[in-house]
Amino acid sequence: MKRIEVKLAVAVVAPLLDVIRALGETPPVAAPGAMVPPDADPDLRGAWLGELAAAEATEVRALLALFDEVFFREGVVAFDAENAEVILRACAVLRLRLRESYLRAWGDDALESGDVEAGPFGPGGHKAMACFLFLATVQELILQHLGDNILAN
Amino acid sequence: MPGAVSGGKIQVLPEEVQRVATVGRWRVVVLNDPVNLMSYVVLVFRKVLGFDEATARRKMLEVHEQGRSVVWTGLREKAEAYAFTLQEWHLSAVVEADEAH
Repeated sequence: MKRIEVKLAVAVVAPLLDVIRALGETPPVAAPGAMVPPDADPDLRGAWLGELAAAEATEVRALLALFDEVFFREGVVAFDAENAEVILRACAVLRLRLRESYLRAWGDDALESGDVEAGPFGPGGHKAMACFLFLATVQELILQHLGDNILAN
Repeated sequence: MPGAVSGGKIQVLPEEVQRVATVGRWRVVVLNDPVNLMSYVVLVFRKVLGFDEATARRKMLEVHEQGRSVVWTGLREKAEAYAFTLQEWHLSAVVEADEAH
């Protein structure tokens, strides 16, 4: 099974995990992009949003589980065909939540282009932006090295 | 009243067929967001909708440049299933009635 191991600086990543945990501990709600079809009956609406929220919580837990004792001892996380998809999706939902919660001040153009210079947004905003970029890097690694595995599964 | 051309003559369709033809077609539309990576959106289109690389890339660029792209058209139930799966991948996907049909 194809596997990639990534060495990370624990001192840099640990504070970002606090941001991710805080986002993950908020009550499970459907992703900001979740839009139920028009005139859906209440049962469908409830099932639709409930299933999305449950999947979202599972994804965030899977991502946080990567940063275990081994990570804090050795600074290494591993991605493979088994976890690639769920981690990729976790990164997506967390980036959407970061935007909703912390990053509106940067503006959509800056977020889309990645041209996000440090601004007067306070330490919380800077940490959230660092987290936003870190999660994008994780996604890029997975897409580059394990994208074919995801398509094949 | 809608009709169909059959053997050079206009044939009036039964009411039930008309209803299915007009009510039964729905579109799955993906809306732009400033968060998801382009390469991620391409992968999701390939994975969920079965697009080849070139089609997925073209549709992704439509979303990026025009703000939206129709990625699938057909019966409502299947459109909802596609929209739900795209939302599971955290894309902004909506279901719309296909006014053209």
